[in-house]
Amino acid sequence: MIKITNLEKFYKTEEVQTLALNKLSFEVKEGEFVAIMGPSGSGKSTLLNILGMLDDPDGGSFIFNGQEVSGYNERKRAQIRKHNIGFVFQSFNLIDELSVFENVELPLIYTGVKPAERKEKVNAVLEKMQIMHRRNHFPQQLSGGQQQRVAVARAVVNNPKIILADEPTGNLDSSTGNEVMDLLCELNEAGTTIVMVTHSEHDARFSHRIIRMLDGQKVTENLNVLV
Amino acid sequence: MLKNYIKIAWRNIWNNKGYTFLNIFGLAIGITCAALILLWIDDEMSYNEYFANYEDIYTVKNTQTYGDETFVFEATPGPLAEYMRNEIPGIGNVSRSANSESLFSHDEKNIHQTGKYVEPEFFDIFELHFLQGDATTAFNDLHSIVVTESMARKFFGSGNVLNKTLRLNQEQSYVITGVIEDLPENISPRFKSSWLAPFKIYENNNEWLQGWNNAIQTYVKPEANADIASLNETLYGFIQTKMEDSESHLSLYPMDRWRLYNEFDKNGLEKEGIFKYVRLFGIIAGIILIIACINFMNLATARSEKRAREIGVRKVLGAQRKMLITQFLSESVLLAFLATLLSIALIYIFLPPFNDLVNKQLVLDLSDPLHLGALLLITIICGLFAGSFPSYYLSSFNPVKVIKGIKSKSSSAAFIRKGLVVFQFSISIILIIATVLVYQQINHVKNRDLGYDNENLVFLPANDNIKKNFEGIRNELISSGAANEISLSGHTPVNIGSNGGGYQWPGKDPESDVLISMESVTPSYIKTSGMELMAGQDFNPNVEANESQVIINETLAKMIDKENAVGKVITRGDSQSTVRGVVKDFVYNNVFGNETSPLILYPASQDFNHLIINIDPDKRSTAVSAIERVMQKYNPGYPTELIYADEKLEEFMSNENMVGKLAAIFAGLAIIISCLGLFGLAAFTAERRIKEIGIRKVLGASVGRITTLLSVDFMKLVLISCLIAFPLAWWFARNWLENYPYRIDISIWIFVIAGLLAFLIAFLTVSFQALKAALTNPINNLRTE
Repeated sequence: MIKITNLEKFYKTEEVQTLALNKLSFEVKEGEFVAIMGPSGSGKSTLLNILGMLDDPDGGSFIFNGQEVSGYNERKRAQIRKHNIGFVFQSFNLIDELSVFENVELPLIYTGVKPAERKEKVNAVLEKMQIMHRRNHFPQQLSGGQQQRVAVARAVVNNPKIILADEPTGNLDSSTGNEVMDLLCELNEAGTTIVMVTHSEHDARFSHRIIRMLDGQKVTENLNVLV
Repeated sequence: MLKNYIKIAWRNIWNNKGYTFLNIFGLAIGITCAALILLWIDDEMSYNEYFANYEDIYTVKNTQTYGDETFVFEATPGPLAEYMRNEIPGIGNVSRSANSESLFSHDEKNIHQTGKYVEPEFFDIFELHFLQGDATTAFNDLHSIVVTESMARKFFGSGNVLNKTLRLNQEQSYVITGVIEDLPENISPRFKSSWLAPFKIYENNNEWLQGWNNAIQTYVKPEANADIASLNETLYGFIQTKMEDSESHLSLYPMDRWRLYNEFDKNGLEKEGIFKYVRLFGIIAGIILIIACINFMNLATARSEKRAREIGVRKVLGAQRKMLITQFLSESVLLAFLATLLSIALIYIFLPPFNDLVNKQLVLDLSDPLHLGALLLITIICGLFAGSFPSYYLSSFNPVKVIKGIKSKSSSAAFIRKGLVVFQFSISIILIIATVLVYQQINHVKNRDLGYDNENLVFLPANDNIKKNFEGIRNELISSGAANEISLSGHTPVNIGSNGGGYQWPGKDPESDVLISMESVTPSYIKTSGMELMAGQDFNPNVEANESQVIINETLAKMIDKENAVGKVITRGDSQSTVRGVVKDFVYNNVFGNETSPLILYPASQDFNHLIINIDPDKRSTAVSAIERVMQKYNPGYPTELIYADEKLEEFMSNENMVGKLAAIFAGLAIIISCLGLFGLAAFTAERRIKEIGIRKVLGASVGRITTLLSVDFMKLVLISCLIAFPLAWWFARNWLENYPYRIDISIWIFVIAGLLAFLIAFLTVSFQALKAALTNPINNLRTE
C-alpha cells in the first residue's frame, strides 16, 4: 500500500538546515498495523505528515497504492487524502463549533456524499463506536476518551484504506487509552491498514510491526512477536 | 455544504458575541450611512422623473457675452415663443412661463401661494395629471386657474372644487377649472407651483412683455423626430433675425440636466452643479463602507489563531482551499446580512433627522425593488469584500503547523492589518479636517462685511397697497421707533436679478459691452440698507429732484473714471443719467465671490417688488409687532410674512451648510467605526501578549509602563495616518476652496487639531484595553499558559 524509498525532508532556517528525514525507506502492506517509535525530533511526525500527504518530501520516492505521489500539488493530494486516509490525533482535533454528529459527518461532506447517505453512514459509525447517545453533544461536553472515539469515528466514516494515528492515546488515561487501542485493533482486523506514531511501548505492542527511528533514519524494524 | 457553512458561521457568531457585536455594529453603521446617502443620491438622480416625458422637455437658455465673460440665463423675451412656433419647424410645443407669488383668498382664508402663469401648451409639454377638470379646457376662460390637490384642500377641504372661486391679491376672482396631482418634492425648485393661471393675464398686466427684454422662461417639447442639434443651430442666431444687435444666443437645455448640472463657467460652458455633491457623497458612502469592512478584515485576521486548528482539521479531512474560502465568505456574508437587518432599524430611526438635515422627505420603502435590491447588493458586496482578505489569509494556513499549534508569524497579515488601520484613520483625519474647514469657510462668509446692514434688515413683498401707502407706512414705522429707515426696491440687496448691457460713457470703447445690474429704488434706499456712500451725494428725498440721476457702485465707478466718476454721464440708447454718487461695493448675488459686478441704482416710482425695513436692533422684539400693526392698517387682509436678510443669505449657503453638517456626521461615524475596530484589535493584541504582560509585571513593570507598551504601537499607526492624511487633506482643501473666491486661508492649526483629536480618540480606545490587561493579576496571566 505504501512504499517509501530514500525519503528526505529538510527544514531550513536562515542559519541552519535540519535533516528531518534522511533517506528513509520502508514499506507498509495492506491490512498491516505498523507502529513508528522514536524520541522527540527523530522525524516520526514528519514522516506521518508525508504519509498523510499533508507535507511534501524534498527527495526520494513515495508510492501510495501504486501511484507515485511525491510532487503532487495540494489539490491532487487533497483528493487522494480525503478518499483514502483517515487521521487520528493526540489532541483529538475535533471542531468545537460542531456537534459529534457534525464532526463525524465532515469528511463525507468534503467527499460529496449525499445528505441521506451521510446520515446513515454517520449513525452507523457512531453506533459502532458506542457514542450514538452523544451525537448531539459538542466536544467540550465529552470526556477525553469520548472525544477520541469521535475522532476515530470521523477517521473511519469514509472507509479509508489507511488510518494514520499520531499518539492516539497521548492525552488519555491508561484505561481509556486501552479502549482506543482496542478500537484501532478492531478496525485493523476488519481490514484497515494502520500506521501509528507513538511514544508508548504499551501501545506499540498492539501493532504487527514496530519501526524505530532516530535522527530521521530507521534504526530497527521488528515484527511484533506478541501479536 | 452551504447549510454546513451557515451552521458553522452562526455558531461562530453566537460563541464570539463581543467580536460579533464589534463587527455587526460597525458594519451596520457603515451600511446605514451608505443607505442614507444612497437614498439622497437616488432622490437627486431621479429629479424631474415625475414628468413622464422629462427626457423630451427643454428650457430655452440665453447665452450672452460681455467682455471676457459669458453668462447663461434662463430669461427669454416675451415675443419669442410665438416666433418659435411659427418659424422653427420641428419645435413642437412651446410655452411661456412666469413665476409669481400671490395672495389667494376664500372666505376668511388668506394664503400666499407660489405659482406660474403659463400657456395652454404647458399642459402638453409637462403632461400634468389632472384629478379634476381637463387640460384641454382648463384655460378656455381668461380668469381660470388650475390648483394642486393640496392648495385645493387648504381652501375647500376635500371634495369637488371645480367652478369654485378664489380671489387673487384681493382683487380679481378666478374660477377653478382643474385640480392637478401634487407635484413631488424632487422636481426642480422652479416647478414647485401650487397653481397655474393663463399667461395672458400676466401679459395683460405687463406691457413690457411686448418688447425684447429677457424676463420669462420658455419651455419646449420638440416634435418626436426633431433633431435637437439642428434646432439649436437655428436657435443660436434666432434672436438676431428679430434684433440684429442682440447679444442673446439661444439653445435648448434638457430637463434631465436641470438639477444635477445647470451651472456654467465664465466661458458659458456647462459645469457640474449638484452632481459634484452626488459624486462626493457617493465616494464618501463607499469609503465609510470600506472602513466598516476593514474592521471585519482586521478582527477576522487578528483572531485567526483561534480558528487555525479548525482550518487545519478541515484541510486534513479533505477540504480544498476554495471550499474554505467559500466557508469564510459565507460567514462574512451572513454577518453582513445581520448587520443589514440592524441597519434597517437604524435607517428608520435616523431617517427623520437626516431628512431635516438635507431638507428632503426621503423614505426607505422595502417593498420597492430598487431599495430592497440596493440593500441586498450592499450586503453581498460588503460580505464578500469584508470576507475577501480573511478568507484568502485563513485558507492559506499550513495544516501541519496549525494542528501542532505552531504560531505563524504572519508578518504579511500583520502588515496588511496595520495598513488597513492606517487607511481607516487617514480617512477619519481627512474627514475631521474637512469638517473644520467647511465650518470655517461658512463662518468666514457669515462674518463677512457685506457692505450693508444685513443683521438688521427685514423684507416684505411689496404689493400695490404697500407701494401706494409707502409714505404713510414709512412715517409710522420710523415715528414708532420700530424702524430706522425703510425703502422700496426691485430686489433685496442680497440678490439683484435684473441686468442688461448697452451702456456707454465717455472714454468707453463703444464696441465692448458690459453687463450691469440695475436696481430701482426709493431715495431712502442707501440709508435703509446701511450702505456707505464713498463719493457724491445720496438721492434727494424728493423723487422728482433725482430725475436722470443715478448712484453707481465702486466697481462701475472705477470703470467710468478711476479718479472721480461723480458727474459723469451714462447713456443707454436714448436715455441719459448723471452719476450723483458712488456707493461702496456691497456683496450681492454671490456671497462667495470676491469681485462685485457693476451696478446702477436708479430712483424710480415703480418697478418695486420689496419693502426693505432697517429695524432698530435695540427694539427688535417690539419692532416685529409694530410692523405687523402698521401693515394691518395699510395692507389689510395680507399676512405679514417678514423675511430676514441674514436668513435669506443662509439660503445661498445651503449647499455648504449641508456639506458641513454631513462632513461632520461622516467624520464622527468614520471615527466611531474605526475606533470599534481599534478596540477589537487592541483586545486581541492584549490577549495575544497576555503572558508577556504577566512576566513583565512579575519582573516589576508598572501599570503605566504596560499600558504604554501596548498603546505605543497603535499610536505609531495614528502618526503614520497623520502623515498620509495631512497632505491629502491639504490638497482636497485647496481644490475645494478654489470654488470660492472669497475664502479662508488654510491654517496649520486645522491639521494640528485634527491630528491631536485622532491621537486622543485612538489613545482612549486602545488604553482601555491596555489598562484592563495591565491591571489583571499576573498570576492569572501566567496560568493561561
